[in-house]
Amino acid sequence: MSQSFLDQLWTARYVIMSGLGMSVSISLLAILAGSVLGVFVGMALVFGGAALRFAVRAYTDIVRGTPVLVLVLASYYVSSAVGVNLGPFTAGVLALAIFCSSHVGEIVRGALQAIPKGQTEAAKAIGLTFTQTFTSVLWPQAMRQFLPAWVNTAAEMVKASTLLSVIGVAELLLRTQEIISRNFLSLQFYFLAGALYFIVNYGIERFGKYVERKTTLPS
Amino acid sequence: MTISLRAGLMLATATLLASAPALAQTSKLDEVLKRGRLVLGTGSTNAPWHFKSADDKLQGFDIDMGRIIAKALFGDPNKIEFVNQSSDARIPNITTNKVDITCQFMTVTGERAQQVAFTIPYYREGVGLMLKADGKYSDYASLKAAGSSVTVSVLQNVYAESMVHAALPQATVDQYDSVDLIYQALESGRADAVATDQSSLAWHMTQNPGRYKDAGYGWNPQSYSCAVKRGDQDWLNFVNTALHEAMTGVEFDAYAKSFKTWFGKDLPQPQIGFPVEYK
Repeated sequence: MSQSFLDQLWTARYVIMSGLGMSVSISLLAILAGSVLGVFVGMALVFGGAALRFAVRAYTDIVRGTPVLVLVLASYYVSSAVGVNLGPFTAGVLALAIFCSSHVGEIVRGALQAIPKGQTEAAKAIGLTFTQTFTSVLWPQAMRQFLPAWVNTAAEMVKASTLLSVIGVAELLLRTQEIISRNFLSLQFYFLAGALYFIVNYGIERFGKYVERKTTLPS
Repeated sequence: MTISLRAGLMLATATLLASAPALAQTSKLDEVLKRGRLVLGTGSTNAPWHFKSADDKLQGFDIDMGRIIAKALFGDPNKIEFVNQSSDARIPNITTNKVDITCQFMTVTGERAQQVAFTIPYYREGVGLMLKADGKYSDYASLKAAGSSVTVSVLQNVYAESMVHAALPQATVDQYDSVDLIYQALESGRADAVATDQSSLAWHMTQNPGRYKDAGYGWNPQSYSCAVKRGDQDWLNFVNTALHEAMTGVEFDAYAKSFKTWFGKDLPQPQIGFPVEYK
């Protein structure tokens, strides 16, 4: 207790790094899986038949209308009730990925629908298949619309990863609380955790800006 | 408020799932023995109960209770797998079989006893008063006699004021929102005494020997017990036996050593001869 913050920080350096590593892996996995799934969700919402559209619409609305904490708890406890015993890490990442996919799905839907109909019609006129139309005509345009909102969702996922501490995943917040329970330096260590989360999110933002710059149309 | 909302959500989930049918009628005891390790639910953020050491090892009084049970099971206190859980997850993780047993400073209440089965208590918690060793007041009587000129620092809570006034009816109550601040208030002289859980006070005093003293008064009693799933008397009996013998029998030394480490007090040997239970 008489030790200074810097001493305590030095003692806890590996613990903080492992917590940060865990938070980053949770977020990365959830964002990756959620984005891939989300693109399909968005495509189903735009191009799907009535039945598929209805099912996917119900999925996104239910997931988006549910607090992430509830999804995390449901994923952890319901999985064990139906016999698939997911560990806290898997259950947590699954819940975050599902949440992420519903948001990304809506962003993709919006981006695709913002493209004028003429583009699809022109693609059809020159004889492109649906896959060709999507990959060469629609997606490149949609992606530019999609990026800023996607960066926002990715940052949300990093913040939502803190909720996994409730089911006992040793991510940065739980690690920080463990350190504080030993040395009572709550203000300093919470501030440090906040700064680390900011750095991660700032990194995501810079990455998004970088991709935006790379994909922008020369004017 | 967020905590209680969270606890409510978790309870609701758990109650929904508690209706899942019980499969085989074998006891958890056999299951644990066959598996070769005990799955113990506990936390990692509350000294001296369950917290991480500087080298990132889980330790504390709750952890030691788990080790006593593991030793009774396998003759090896280290055959434990810890499941890290928040306080809200204590009951849900038992009812959904995530853990064999939970030892996490769990207060025994009638409400909880309807959801899980409690073991015999292994500690009696209560609120106590801590003073500076060289301070103006020497004990509880002098604090009480000083009336409203005494300032008591306490953790912020809806019941904090009435909790302190139950022991010191006229004392001035200063509420702070974190543990380090209530101790700092005493240290800096802004408060004359700290009122909080006796276990926390005991831990703080063992961390800072000679600097503080206990005012020698305790109130607000509550029992801490481990908890297991309802409906498995065999398993409950086993854990009860293990804990009971740690407090009165063959494992007393392990219990007493743990008690000394975390609460700084030496326990008297259980009386030999007529069993202490029937005193």
